[in-house]
Amino acid sequence: MKKTDNKAIKKTGLGAKASRRIDNTVVYIVLILISLIWLFPLFGLILESFKVEYQGQTGYLWPQQFGFDNYIRLFKETDFFKWFINTGIMGVCTAVLQTIFVLSMSYVLSRLRFKGRKGLMNAMLVLGMFPGFLTMILIYKVFSDLGLVLEMAPVGLIIVYCASSGMGYYVSKGFFDTIPKSLDEAARVDGATRFQVFYKVIMPLAKPIVIYTILMGFMAPWGDFMLASYLIHQNSAGMNVAVGMFEWLSKTMVNSHYTMFCAAGVVVAIPVTTVFLCLQKYYVEGVTGGAVKG
Amino acid sequence: MATVKLTNVKKVYGKDTVAVQDFNLDIADKEFIVFVGPSGCGKSTTLRMIAGLEDISAGTVEIDGVVVNDLQPRDRDIAMVFQNYALYPHLTVFENMAFSLRLKKVPQDVVYEKVTQAAEILGITEYLMRKPRALSGGQRQRVAIGRAMVRDSKVFLMDEPLSNLDAKLRNQMRAEIILLRQKIDTTFIYVTHDQTEAMTLGDRIVIMKDGFVQQVGTPTEVFDMPDNLFVAEFIGAPKMNTFKTQLVYEDGKYYVTPYGAKIEVTGAKAEMLKARGITSREIVLGIRPEHFVLSSEGDSAAIPCKITVNEMMGSELHLHGVEENGDKLIVRIPTISLTDEQRSSLTFGSYIYVTCEGKVMHFFDPETEKNLLT
Repeated sequence: MKKTDNKAIKKTGLGAKASRRIDNTVVYIVLILISLIWLFPLFGLILESFKVEYQGQTGYLWPQQFGFDNYIRLFKETDFFKWFINTGIMGVCTAVLQTIFVLSMSYVLSRLRFKGRKGLMNAMLVLGMFPGFLTMILIYKVFSDLGLVLEMAPVGLIIVYCASSGMGYYVSKGFFDTIPKSLDEAARVDGATRFQVFYKVIMPLAKPIVIYTILMGFMAPWGDFMLASYLIHQNSAGMNVAVGMFEWLSKTMVNSHYTMFCAAGVVVAIPVTTVFLCLQKYYVEGVTGGAVKG
Repeated sequence: MATVKLTNVKKVYGKDTVAVQDFNLDIADKEFIVFVGPSGCGKSTTLRMIAGLEDISAGTVEIDGVVVNDLQPRDRDIAMVFQNYALYPHLTVFENMAFSLRLKKVPQDVVYEKVTQAAEILGITEYLMRKPRALSGGQRQRVAIGRAMVRDSKVFLMDEPLSNLDAKLRNQMRAEIILLRQKIDTTFIYVTHDQTEAMTLGDRIVIMKDGFVQQVGTPTEVFDMPDNLFVAEFIGAPKMNTFKTQLVYEDGKYYVTPYGAKIEVTGAKAEMLKARGITSREIVLGIRPEHFVLSSEGDSAAIPCKITVNEMMGSELHLHGVEENGDKLIVRIPTISLTDEQRSSLTFGSYIYVTCEGKVMHFFDPETEKNLLT
């Protein structure tokens, strides 16, 4: 008993300050180490992309000569720009369509009560547990019959990305569930249709989740490789960045394209990073403050 | 402005959870009706069925002679104030109030006029540009009322609008609703669990329990002549004292005999008993706390009891006592009628003798709990 008392007294005095400082120092050192490990590949990529003296892999990190040669070659000598645009179109289309599908689905599941609602939700949960690539061969077969492969692959890919997106309703449904139902009811009494309730009342309140859904919708096609490589095959006109750049790492090309690959990596990262930085403030919660009793 | 008629309205949740049973009510134009009852009695459900927010399992709801069972809330021309205000947090007070008008595509100048007019009546003009989160509870409730006011709708529904406010604000807002009612002059349906609100606001009160309507009547009617024991105990605060006792008919006179006392029934009550041909029988006797008067030890009409709690309310004294058998009773005495000596003697543990006048007693059947005189 006495021991704990002494300890307590110590902690409230100068000793507490010192021990807190030591704790913090340890925590910061660990965090800094983790960030260094995490940031190292990124720095490596950026440094490699500015390396001018040799275009293949070298045994060192710091370039002997800095320059933008890799970036210039990227746009002048390859189809990278075309791929970039392809990926961009796929990303934007998917983001828009997927957001509409996911949010409508989530709103319906959160607000409407209909027969089979629970069963539907459970079925989607179970279906979602199967890895997507199980369907890859079948998708290829169907899409090749429909002519949605090779140079038409981007259209096919958009369809695949959006088709099952409604099944990813969990996060946004969870968010909608937190918005009081009496807001819907008030709006309906005020003369709004269900759809007006959705876009005039719920959407503005669900900004964080809308942004989240858009970002997720954009990210998936932006970085997709596996499914895209199947549908695109080796048709340069239909390639996205991941599939296009992958060729540069083949045995025959890696020695002349490695630094360019790194430059392309940096270019690919720029839009996503920018979008994230711009939109992150909308993640801030608390927009429903003042809605109901408080 | 409209009449509302509910005929055999029933609400069943799932397979067999009955929330409202056989609800019949005719509400006149410009009437202020209050649904009151303990929680779970079905009052809010009934209101929500009128609003169109709940499906009606059976029966019909008519507004102005039109059956609205299958109409969407927006087609019923009603306005509603919710218990938790339900203000749109992303809109300013002005836009919150203008929301319904904007949906109807009302011209901007009309919107402006209506909103500012309502804001002025409610005293919230200076907050029009604020968001709801920057308002206090009372101000939010005013905005919610304002939002309903600008609609000029046929029926004004209020679902426990004051229950989130503190006691002082609630009293103030209650008075304001009475004033507001004179200004708006439309049909009101108001839901509350607070009998004081019901008594002070309503032209007529609908008292509900377990989905059933117990009594419909003016505040005076339900207070003076409760249909059954539940209504008797629910209306009035502190609640009515009830004792199982004997009604004695002797030489053309009626007496009640609670705890050895013998009190004569007088006035209209005695005549009503006689008119109904009631003779000696077992009854549940009801006496409101304020109808007790202090008596003295020798009085044959006095019930002796021991004080267990003494609540000094300022203008009146609430005495909780136990009678010899352990039954509890509450006595409410205006402090102005007490001498200083009496006041100091009415303390914990002391004995008092109370009686009551014969004309203010209530008689209920112990089996059916119905009032014997209605």
